[in-house]
Amino acid sequence: MHHVIVERWSRTQSVIHSRDARIKLLAALVFLIVVATTPPLEWLCFATYVTVLLIATLTAQLPLLGLLERAALVLPFSLVFGITTWLIGDHARAIGLFEKSYLSAWTALWLAGTTPLPRLLKAAEWFGVPRLLILTIQFLYRYLFVLSEQGQHMRLAAACRAGSRGAARAMWRAAAGALAVLFARSYQRAEGIHRAMQSRGFTGTFPAVALGRFTLADAAFLALAVIPVVAVRFV
Amino acid sequence: MHIPDGYLSTPIWIALDATAIPAVGWLTRRAQQEVDESKIPLLGVMGAFVFAAQMINFPVVPGTSNHLVGGALLAFALGPWAASLVMTAILAIQAFVFQDGGIMALGANTINMALAGVWAAWIPYRRFGASKTGIFLGAFLSVMVSGCLALTQLLLSGVHLPTALVATGTGVFAISALIEGAITVAVLGSIERINPGWVRRPAGGQNRITGVLIFFAIVLVVFGVLIASTAPDGLEKVAEHAGISSQAGTLYKTALADYEFQGLSSLWLRKALAGLAGLAAIYALCLVIGTVIRRRNKPLSTVGQASVCAALQLRSATASKTEQVAR
Repeated sequence: MHHVIVERWSRTQSVIHSRDARIKLLAALVFLIVVATTPPLEWLCFATYVTVLLIATLTAQLPLLGLLERAALVLPFSLVFGITTWLIGDHARAIGLFEKSYLSAWTALWLAGTTPLPRLLKAAEWFGVPRLLILTIQFLYRYLFVLSEQGQHMRLAAACRAGSRGAARAMWRAAAGALAVLFARSYQRAEGIHRAMQSRGFTGTFPAVALGRFTLADAAFLALAVIPVVAVRFV
Repeated sequence: MHIPDGYLSTPIWIALDATAIPAVGWLTRRAQQEVDESKIPLLGVMGAFVFAAQMINFPVVPGTSNHLVGGALLAFALGPWAASLVMTAILAIQAFVFQDGGIMALGANTINMALAGVWAAWIPYRRFGASKTGIFLGAFLSVMVSGCLALTQLLLSGVHLPTALVATGTGVFAISALIEGAITVAVLGSIERINPGWVRRPAGGQNRITGVLIFFAIVLVVFGVLIASTAPDGLEKVAEHAGISSQAGTLYKTALADYEFQGLSSLWLRKALAGLAGLAAIYALCLVIGTVIRRRNKPLSTVGQASVCAALQLRSATASKTEQVAR
C-alpha cells in the first residue's frame, strides 16, 4: 500500500534523513510558500525548484521514479481543471495549476519520505501546534492501518457470506450494519487502549522522541535548501 | 473536495490559513475543556475509523462518493468541538502523508471540512433533535456546505469554470450529500441498536422556529454564495458578447475579450466578496440568536458523558450483541 511504502522510505538512512525534523519542516514550508507565490511563467524559478527537489530527493536516496510516480497522483485532478482553464484562454493559470500542484505533492512526499511521522509531529509541536491535536494525529496514524485492515477483513467476510450480489436494499443495510460494527469495535478499542495506557502509567504525553540540538549540518542543509530558491525568486 | 496546492490564489490561501490557524487553536482549547483525558485515545481512533470506513462501499450512483465522508457522524458521536479537532487531524494526515489536499491549502480545507462541514451538521442536529430529519439534514448540509465552499474558493481564486461545469459540480455535491445523509441515518440507526450511549443527544429541539430559521440561513449561505460567485460569470459572458458584437473585427476579438475579462474579474471579485460578507453576517446573526436562546434555556451537553461507565459495565453484553449484529 501507498502509505506503507512512504513509511518504509522514512525509516531508511541518509544525510537528509538524519537532519533535524524541525529544519526539514521549516525548509519544506519555506519552499512551498515560495513555489505557491511564483508566477506560472517564471521558467528560471521553476527550473531551480525542480533542481533543488531533484538534489534533495537523490541525496536522501529515495527512489526517484517511484516518488515522481506517486506525486503524479495529483495530476488527474489537475488535468480536469487545467484543461478547462486552458480552453477558457487563461494559459498561464493552466500551466501554473500543473506546476504548483505537482511540485507541492513532490515536496510533501519528500518530507514524509525522509522524516518518520512521530518526529514530524514532535517538530510541529515545537512550532506551537496544540498538544491535543498532536496526540489525536498520533493516535489516528497509529490505528489507521489497524482499523483499515479490519475494514478490509469485514468487507471480505461479507463478500464470502453473501456474495457481492443481491438486492440493493439488502446490500445497503448490510453495509450500514458493517459500518456500525466497525464503529463499535473502534469505540471499544479506544476504551481498551485507555485502560492499557493507564495501567502502564500514562502521564499525558507519549514517550518523547528526542529532538536534540541543532547542528552545523542542519544549518548547512537549511542554507543549501532555502537560499537558492529564495534567491532565484526574489533577487 | 480536497483542494490541492496551486489552485487558490495567493491572497485567498493566505487569508484562509491566517483564519484557520487561530480557529484551530481555539477549537482545540474548547475540545480540551469538553473531552476528559480518558477520551483522548477515542479522538484518534474515531479519526482512524473514518479512514477505515472508506473500505466499505455503499451501492449507489457511480461517480459520486459512495462511502461515508464522516464529518457529520463524528459531530453526532463526539460533539462539534471534538469532531472539528478530529477532522483537522484527518486533513493533516491526508495532506502530509497521502498528498490528498495541499499543505498550503490545508487552511482552506480545514475551514471547509473541519469547521464549516462539522458545524453545518451540528446546528440542524441540535435544533431538530436526534430524529431522522435532524440526522439527514445535518449530514446533507455537511457535505453540501464543504463542497460549495471549496467551489466558491476556487471561483474566487480566478479558476474560471464554465457555468455548466459549476452546475455539474454542484449537482455532484448534491447527490453525494444526499447519499451521505442516507448513509449517516442508516449507520447511526445501527449504532444506536448496539449501544444508544454512543450517540450524543443534543439538548435542543425545544425551539422549532429558530431551528427552521437557522436551517434556511445555512441553505441561503450555501446557495447564495454559489450564486454570488457564478452569476457574474453569466454577466461576464453578456459583456463579452456585447463587446464582440460592437467590434465586429475578428482580429480584435481575443485582445478585447482579454481586456474585458481583466476589468470584469476585479468587479466580479468585489461582488462575490460583498455577497460572501453579507451572507457571513446573516450566518453570524443566526448563530448569535441561537446562542442567546441557548443561554435562556438549558445548557448543552448534559447527555453522552455517562456513557463511559455504562459502556464499561455493559462491555460483555455489548460485545456479544456486536457479534450478533456482525453476523
